[in-house]
Formats: sequence, structure tokens, C-alpha cells
Amino acid sequence: MNTNRILGGILWYALLLVVIALSLGPIVWMMSTSFKPEGDIVTINIQWIPKTFTLENYRNVLVQYDMLRWTVNSLIVAIAATVLALLLSSLSGYALARMEFCGRNSIFLLIISMLFIPMQITVVPLFLLFSGFNLVDNYLALILPIGANVTPVFLMRQFFLNIPGELEDAARVDGANDWRIWAWIVMPLARPALTAVAIIVFLSTWNSFFWPLIVTQTDASRTLPVGLAQFMSLRPGMSMSAQAYGKSMAGAVLASIPPILVFFMLQRYFIEGVSKTGLKG
Amino acid sequence: MRILAPSRPTTKAGPARKDFRWTPYWFMLPYLLFFLLFRLGPSLAGLGISFTNWQVAGTTKFVGLANFQAMPHDTRLLDAVKNTVVFTALTVPLLIVLSLALAMLLNQRRKGRTFGRVAAFTPFVMMSTVIGILWTWILEKDFGLLNMYLGRKIPWLVDSDVAMYSIVITTVWWTVGYDMVLFLAGLQDIPRDVYEAAEIDGANKFQVFRRVTIPMLAPTIFLVVLLTVTNSFQVFDQVYVMTAGGPGTATLTLVQYIYTVAFQFQKFGYGSAVALLLFVILIGFTLLQMRAYRRGVEGVGA
Repeated sequence: MNTNRILGGILWYALLLVVIALSLGPIVWMMSTSFKPEGDIVTINIQWIPKTFTLENYRNVLVQYDMLRWTVNSLIVAIAATVLALLLSSLSGYALARMEFCGRNSIFLLIISMLFIPMQITVVPLFLLFSGFNLVDNYLALILPIGANVTPVFLMRQFFLNIPGELEDAARVDGANDWRIWAWIVMPLARPALTAVAIIVFLSTWNSFFWPLIVTQTDASRTLPVGLAQFMSLRPGMSMSAQAYGKSMAGAVLASIPPILVFFMLQRYFIEGVSKTGLKG
Repeated sequence: MRILAPSRPTTKAGPARKDFRWTPYWFMLPYLLFFLLFRLGPSLAGLGISFTNWQVAGTTKFVGLANFQAMPHDTRLLDAVKNTVVFTALTVPLLIVLSLALAMLLNQRRKGRTFGRVAAFTPFVMMSTVIGILWTWILEKDFGLLNMYLGRKIPWLVDSDVAMYSIVITTVWWTVGYDMVLFLAGLQDIPRDVYEAAEIDGANKFQVFRRVTIPMLAPTIFLVVLLTVTNSFQVFDQVYVMTAGGPGTATLTLVQYIYTVAFQFQKFGYGSAVALLLFVILIGFTLLQMRAYRRGVEGVGA
């Protein structure tokens, strides 16, 4: 019996180690490469820990590319989009969940049905719309479409369906109107849901690539993912030398720090958020 | 997509009011404006544009089904469809099996499981372009980490026979933690007494897995399959960064093709038509899966 338990324990730790090594190994390798001088990147032996540490790659990437600007663009867009989505979804989600009005169910069904329509169908008209208003390469083109996201509305409605009605009734008896009830009673209650929505919207905007690739043209509005893709403008195996990867990895490390930091700080909400919603944003 | 899962929420009515009020519409208005302008409108417009020959030069006119009739003769499109199907057929089973195995492993009450979960989920929070750049380096032919460990010189991204596998490996590594979290949530929803009952009946571990875990997990499996298939059919970012659809058309996928046609050649009409094809494929698959699921549930319930 006892040997069985010991064997089980060894097996557990062995499997756990494999999972951790496979998950984090590539990330450690990315960091390791980013600190190596050019000559050490192409050694024949695997060097997990750089023999000589250098920050040269970081200096190069920051000098040659406008990474700072991309980061600022990404931050502005992601924060603005998150605020916009929180405001729109908490208002509409509240009405859809707690108010009776003509057409409520049809409107909700219409909104939800958009989950089935891939965004690739909307990109051509959206691009024509924004270029018609001369807003290509403008923050607005990156921010405004996020306001129409369906997921936040769905999540907020879901949350509001499950709050007890007594508080609202009491406030109504005291003479508060719907706006006051929403602002002073309901919104403070909704903090967990708002946090989940904020994380989902922020992260999906921060990481989004397809639409920003289409609608940004210069560093003025280029976000981090689009900017980083330029590292690969020389195709691998064709002309990009292995030495150049030091610089690419330095850029990749810099771009990964914010989301990984946010993830470790808000880890609990993250995993809860994903498992409760099963949605990406 | 949760709406597709069978556990539909029951709609509780708000405070009953008979008289007509404007307030709810004011609450809805801001969102509905954005929804009409940036979601519903563009979706309908995309549908319309796919029946035109809209491109950057020349006059735009309605061409009926011409865009769709041209599709069977468009060899690049056929390649893209084939590649996307192959990518999905390789990625989805791998992801389901690995993420379920991970979830089962890390659902045990043992030391270090939280660390394991966090580690497995970490790749998913990194942005797609970083993933693409990182794996281009790992899969490099001469000095890439993978080939150094394998002691071989496989031209992962340059050889058209293996390039698609490179995209598959990268995608699985990137997203397996996400599916694991969905499965973990599903596993934790299974009541403990079901397992206890099975144990009392003398079921072994494999029997418990087949007769208890899998049926109880059916809604989660349904959701994960749906999400992974939908995402696989829309694969773009990794491909764009790692191979740009090459070599040749070896990794050209549907969305990569839509991007090329609509935004590099600026053939808006044909690009929209291909996007509509993607939509039809996705909705067809969703309906098929819902039917299979319903039949499955009825079978178990009987």
C-alpha cells in the first residue's frame, strides 16, 4: 500500500514537471535568447543560461523600432475600449435583464445571433466605413468597433438576472428612479461582473491582430501586435539570419511583460472568468 | 457561445409594469447605436457586397452569383479550404485530448496543482504575434531549440510538407491551457456523490472515466469542440507571422486568403464572398454538431 502511494507521488511530480517544462520552457528560451550576444545565439550546444549577459538586443530593438509608441497606442486603445464596453454593456445588460419593454426578447436574440457571424464578414464594410470618414490609421477605428461586442452585454445581462430584486424595490419605494438605481445600487453590486468583463475586453483588445493589421498604416496608430509582426517581415529560412532572433526575442519579452504581469496579479479572476463564460471577448 | 450549451438560463421577469415607458429604450440606445453601426450593419453590408464586383478600380455593380460561381475554379481558394480543413482536423482532436488529460491531471488534490494550472495557462495570455515570433525561432532549421533537441535538421517552416504541422504545434501549445480551464470547470461541476456511487458499485478507474466522467462532461465537450473548431477555421495570426501562407500555398488558410484578396488586392466583392463562404461552413458545422449533441443526450437519457 505504502509503496503504491510513493510511486503515485513520484508519477505525479514527474508529470507535473513535464507539464511545467513544456508550458514554460519556450518562454524561458525566449528570455534566454534575448539576453545573449549575437555570437552565442547560434552555438551548437543548448545554452539555457547565457554565458555572457547583454542588454544589447533590448537597446537595438528600442532604437530600431518605435516600440514605445506601439505600446502607448496599445494602452490607449485597450483602456478606451474597455471603458466604452463597460459603460455600454452595463446599461444595456441591465435593461435586458431587469426591465420589461416591448421587443426585449427579439432585441436580445438579434444581439446574440451575431455571435454566429464571423467577424471576417464585417471587416470589409468596416474598413470602407472608416476609410469613408478618413479615419483609417486613427485610434477611433480601433476603439469604436469594440463597443459593439456582444459578449460583454451577454455577461452583464447574465449577472443582472441573478441579483435579488429587493434592493431595487426598496429604492423605488424611496422614490429613486431607474437611473439612480442603476448608478447607486446596481453598479456597485456588479463589481465582480464588471471586473470579468474588463479583463476579457482589455486582454482581447490588447492581443487583437486582424483588425488592427487592416486599419493601421503607420506607427502613429500601430498597436503592439501589428508592430511586432514587422520583425518577421524578412521571412524565416529565406533571409533572416539566426543572429537576428536576439532582437526579436527582446521585443517579444517586452511585449509579454504587461499581459503576464496582469495575469499573475489577477490570476484568480482570470481562470474564473474564462471558466464561467467560455468566451474570449 | 455559452448560449449554445444546453444549460439555458431561465429568464426572470423584472418588476412588472404595464404602462409604456421610454426609460428602457434610453438604457438600450447607446449600445444599440454601436451595435447597428459596427456589427449588424457591417454584417448585412458584407452580405450585400459579396454579390458585387467592388474593387479598388472600376465601377461597382451587382454581379449576382458570379463571385460564388468563380470559386470552384479558384485553385488558391481550393487550397485554402483544404488547408483550413486539414489544420482543423489535426488541431481539434489534439487540443481536446491534451486539454482533457491536463484537466484530469491537475484536478487531483495534490501539491503543486495550482502552479501546474497557472503554467499551462500562461502561454494563452501572450499575444499571437509574440507566439508566432517565438515559435519561428524555436522551429528554426539550424539553431532552433526543437531541432537541437531532436538532433535533426527538419526545415519546419520552409518545407511545404511539414509547414502545416509547425502551425499545428504552435497553436496547440498556445491554446491548450485555455481549453484545460474549460474542462476543469466542467469537472468541478460533477457532483462528488456520483463518483462515490460508482466506487461503491466497484467500478475501476477506466470504467469511471468512460461511464461517469465522459457522459457528465458532455456539455463541456460540446462547448470546447465548438469553440476550437470555430477558432481553427478562423486561424490567421500565427500563419501570417510564421509563414504568410507559404511556402507556396502550403499553409494558406481561409482567413489568410480573405486578407490577401480583400486588403492586398483590394477586391472587396470577392473577399466578402469568401468570408461568406467561411460563415456558411461555420454555421453548417455548428448545426451539425448541435444535432449530434441532441441525439447523444437523448441516447444517454434513454
